[in-house]
Amino acid sequence: MNNLYNIAKDLFSTNKVDLIIGYKSIDSRRTKPIFVSSNEDVDHLVFNEYSLNNLSVYLTRKDIKKYNKIGILAKGCDIRAIVQLINENQIEREKILIISKKCNGVVKDFGLEYNEENIAEKCKSCKVRTPKVFDLMIDSEEEKKLPEPTISSRVNELDSMTPEERFEFWRNEFSKCIRCYACRQACPLCYCERCIVDKNIPDWIESSPTQRANFSWNLIRAFHLSGRCIGCGECERVCPVDIPLSLLNAKMGIVAFKEFNYATGMEIGEPTLVGNYSNEDNEDFIK
Amino acid sequence: METNINFEPKIIAFVCNWCTYTGADLAGTSRLKYAHNVRIIKLPCTGRIDPLFIIKAFEKGADGVLVSGCHPGDCHYTSGNFHARRRWILFNQLLNFAGIDNRRVHFSWVSASEGRKWVDVINEVIETVRKARPFVGYSKMNKEYVYNE
Amino acid sequence: MYRIKKQDFSKIIDELIKTGNRIISYSNNGNDFKRINSSNELSINSNFKPSKLSLKEIVFPKTEPLFYYKRTNDNVELKDIKFDSEKTIIIGAKPCDAKAFSTISKVFNWDYKDNFFNSKYENTIIIGLKCDYKDEYCFCNEVGLSQSSKEGSDIFIELDGDDYFIYILSEKGKNLLQPFMSYLIEEIKESKVDDIDNIIDLNKVRTWITDNFDNNFWYSISQECLGCGKCAFICPTCHCFDIVDENYTYFEGRRMKNWDACQFGKFTLHASGHNPRDIQAKRYRQRIAHKFKYYFDKFDELLCTGCGRCSRECPVSINIFDVIKEINAK
Repeated sequence: MNNLYNIAKDLFSTNKVDLIIGYKSIDSRRTKPIFVSSNEDVDHLVFNEYSLNNLSVYLTRKDIKKYNKIGILAKGCDIRAIVQLINENQIEREKILIISKKCNGVVKDFGLEYNEENIAEKCKSCKVRTPKVFDLMIDSEEEKKLPEPTISSRVNELDSMTPEERFEFWRNEFSKCIRCYACRQACPLCYCERCIVDKNIPDWIESSPTQRANFSWNLIRAFHLSGRCIGCGECERVCPVDIPLSLLNAKMGIVAFKEFNYATGMEIGEPTLVGNYSNEDNEDFIK
Repeated sequence: METNINFEPKIIAFVCNWCTYTGADLAGTSRLKYAHNVRIIKLPCTGRIDPLFIIKAFEKGADGVLVSGCHPGDCHYTSGNFHARRRWILFNQLLNFAGIDNRRVHFSWVSASEGRKWVDVINEVIETVRKARPFVGYSKMNKEYVYNE
Repeated sequence: MYRIKKQDFSKIIDELIKTGNRIISYSNNGNDFKRINSSNELSINSNFKPSKLSLKEIVFPKTEPLFYYKRTNDNVELKDIKFDSEKTIIIGAKPCDAKAFSTISKVFNWDYKDNFFNSKYENTIIIGLKCDYKDEYCFCNEVGLSQSSKEGSDIFIELDGDDYFIYILSEKGKNLLQPFMSYLIEEIKESKVDDIDNIIDLNKVRTWITDNFDNNFWYSISQECLGCGKCAFICPTCHCFDIVDENYTYFEGRRMKNWDACQFGKFTLHASGHNPRDIQAKRYRQRIAHKFKYYFDKFDELLCTGCGRCSRECPVSINIFDVIKEINAK
């Protein structure tokens, strides 16, 4: 039987992995990341609709990289991050063992009950509910129909505003930012050892949480993730002041698809978007 | 054409050393007249231009930004402007989405022999930004940095 | 002790708004707090969960200028900030939030009287509210507080049907309500002491922290920590700050004081490149040790009021109460 417990036990007893990064239940509606390095703690592992965290954020950490073979519980969205990290040469495919399942979505935040109203927005438009890249598949329940996504209509709503209105909207949202950098730390693709905002000679992005500096920070982070963001929504989930970061990232995802037919993290070996160029790139906005 | 005669926009132009800067130089030696509102910042190649520079220019009080480089295929470093072009496609739309639209951010290819084109591009940019009025959004955010009694 | 009708209390609030006071109340769903412009917007609900962000922003803003500077040809002119804080009244602060104000006031008045903090704190009146909320993240009673603790409040309210029961606890509170005494009906009420068994032995926890600086425990409980700093920023008692200079032009600028967090990777990065707290385990150890040992050693108070925000909001669900329970069980 391909249940999580048996798979994990087997992996350890046959020495196929020396670490499994997974989820552990804290209560009926909340899980947290767990690092299992032997058969002892295998029975803590769970993988359900409350498994919100994107565990691939740990794969670029120095203390995790020293393991030889790492098993990781990953939903379809998390796998996209793993694929993108491989494509950006941050981790080696041979070192990772991806354990996945057919996904019926997760709740949008801790403590919420799994039902139609509480499903995360990203799940509603997910194209990888049955992941294409994986090593082991856990048994899971039948595929459920999820509600219609609303993100593109919200992006369109913003697009239909005048530039001044849009600026005002974002100035207002970013003024709430307290520069806790939870968005950056939770993002699996923000792995720079020294983030641009940490560099203060010269002071490219001011560190004070003023309106002007917050505008800069959030915009530059959105740009540095353009063509790299996989839309896992962790940044928006962890933001303490509820800034709608997924609107920015969704817009850039739409642009990447429209202009370059590119979706991040779908295929291992696919060349990265911003690391390459083509002679056919659109230039009708250039004089 | 309605223009606010009192408003002189501040334009920052990030240009590449080998083509556009030389083109601007040619405009100078040819004694071609153009508006004074632009400040030119010379970089080795458009590939060096980080979108962060554009944001920084607005932070420091620019009303408009022009980014200009060699025509595709003519880059002194072979492929710098190709990389830049791809970045600009993404960044242009991101800026637009954040409310800094194409009236304020401009891109162009100007070669070393296109002195006339340089003048035309600058004049066009200045008029477009003049019509777009001062960048109130940013000046509102900048107010707190200056001591007020 | 006094009894007052709810509508009379609202009249007092409206009068205070009219005389130029800034009134801070919780929003309708209790998720955050805001300035209100009339008593209609008042939201006094003892069942609210602690708000996502703490109230410390009112006396310790996320960013604040220290002084302005202007360079001239041969000189630098400095312009100090004028301390003219708005008179602020916070209504409905939970005991865990009210206590936090008096806790951090100690470090801001220790070897240096921080007037940036004091000028705001002296102009702030805290009206606490008895709390009826409890979830698995709250542990105020383990750190010397309770749902009806009046510590840190200038005035304390208990809900009683259509009335409020008011305790006036400080000079500030007395002066505030002086013009409105006609609304208040004196009444003696027997104070019910909450009878709760504590499971944490704080002395034991403190001793264990002292003796186990290099214990592997710190690594095992913080392995999943992302080092994001969200816990420190939303915490009502965390008070670390960073000082930076920022310029408007080459000639003009200002010096800023901003929130900082010991959880950031570069918090202890020296100019030499050496970083004494280079792994997350050391940074997390610092957080726990500061809150449950170092601050107590210095000020006889814990730097934690048991509000549970950090545990509720942690992106990877690290629960500070669980950490303390584990230490307690060692």
